[in-house]
Amino acid sequence: MKHTSKFISSLSFLFSMFLGYAQDVPEISKNLDSTVTQKPKTETVKTAKPEIKEAPKEILTDSVVKTDRYGLRVGVDLYKLTRGLYDKDYKGIEFVGDWRLTKKYYLAAELGFEDKTTEDDRLTSSATGTYVKAGFDYNFYQNWLDMENLITIGMRGGFSTFSQELINYKIYNPNPYWGELPPINEGQKYSGLTAAWIEVALGLKAKVFNNVFVGFGVQLKLLAMNKEPGNFENLYIPGFNRTYDGSFGVGFNYTVSYFIPIYKKKTMASENAKIEEAKKKKK
Amino acid sequence: MKKIIAILLLFTFGLSSCEKDDICDANTPTTPRLVITFYDIANPTKTKNVTNLKVIGDGMEQGIVFNENLAVDDTLRYVTSGSTVSLPLKINDSTTTFKLIFDSLNANPAAVNTDVLKFNYTAQNVYVSRACGFKTIFQLANNDPFIQTDPDGDTFWMTQINLENPNIESEDETHIEVYF
Repeated sequence: MKHTSKFISSLSFLFSMFLGYAQDVPEISKNLDSTVTQKPKTETVKTAKPEIKEAPKEILTDSVVKTDRYGLRVGVDLYKLTRGLYDKDYKGIEFVGDWRLTKKYYLAAELGFEDKTTEDDRLTSSATGTYVKAGFDYNFYQNWLDMENLITIGMRGGFSTFSQELINYKIYNPNPYWGELPPINEGQKYSGLTAAWIEVALGLKAKVFNNVFVGFGVQLKLLAMNKEPGNFENLYIPGFNRTYDGSFGVGFNYTVSYFIPIYKKKTMASENAKIEEAKKKKK
Repeated sequence: MKKIIAILLLFTFGLSSCEKDDICDANTPTTPRLVITFYDIANPTKTKNVTNLKVIGDGMEQGIVFNENLAVDDTLRYVTSGSTVSLPLKINDSTTTFKLIFDSLNANPAAVNTDVLKFNYTAQNVYVSRACGFKTIFQLANNDPFIQTDPDGDTFWMTQINLENPNIESEDETHIEVYF
């Protein structure tokens, strides 16, 4: 069941990537048009013909003026919020926010709380705590005109402070000559635990209407610091999720957010194309 | 763009495949047994094989299984003729008593010799992993780690018993040495 739901969510994320690219196609063809017209001209510049250089400039002046909106986007992770409704072992909430720094860079942060009980084969434990993640997102999606969609890759530093409770456990005895023992109810609480990690975050945010965005995100995490309790282990870290034998972790979110526009910047659409072109030539 | 798609593909499939490290590996050291090694009293540096030794826990019907491959009703399943035995201690108790029956399959009842060993210890539960849960390790008591008695009144077949290592944390070492 777990596998299936994870598979479906992975798959839907995968398909959502192609949705993004489907919109990307006309723009690429638009770029191509301009390269076709400009390329021979720039090449001829080398053979010293300055007059031709002015031709693309004329194109620039009558190209579309694009307005980029800058501001704060705040939202909530619906996945964590709704999971509490159907999973009695889980309660959690995550607030997400980002601030547009430059055309492509965003400052991003997440703040959350999780309370999760995990039943493993031989032990049941719960983890409760809050976490904060902060970092940046880089939007590598080329928007067309006034679209404001994002496909981002980013980095985060995460920190969590939490407590764990060992609810019950079984003794692993490979030679049960004296019979299997029932689980031992411990009720031992380990508090004052902390963990820190870094993560690579891939995200997709699409503007659905007005200033409302929906987004998917997956995160690959690497544990950097982990304060473990004596005679036990941090099996679940709020924000980091389940721990594995190594220091890897994965995360997933589904967000709905609202964009609060604060100021605007105007750029020439064709100027953007020109910058892109220059980059391509460098390669 | 193609590179990005490739990375995304890797990422999404990586996400689906990260699951199930929660099967306890059989090689993981878990709750250890008490290991007894038998030595030749005439030549104390050399180990000596016992003859059809059967070990029954106090209050149990069946002996400890030494040959798992044999059928349940095969008497050879419960005897050993090696130089070491590993005995499981009770996890939720501080004493465990075993009957050690030497030459148990001999038709002549006079040849069968039973000694009883009672072990006194403290048990401690130690965390292993998510998959394996906890294990129990034991420490034999300082006073009277073991008590030897002879219920059938014929002399002890275990002439001398030495405590080699009171900390029962792994099965890779001998805890009790028996000379006969």
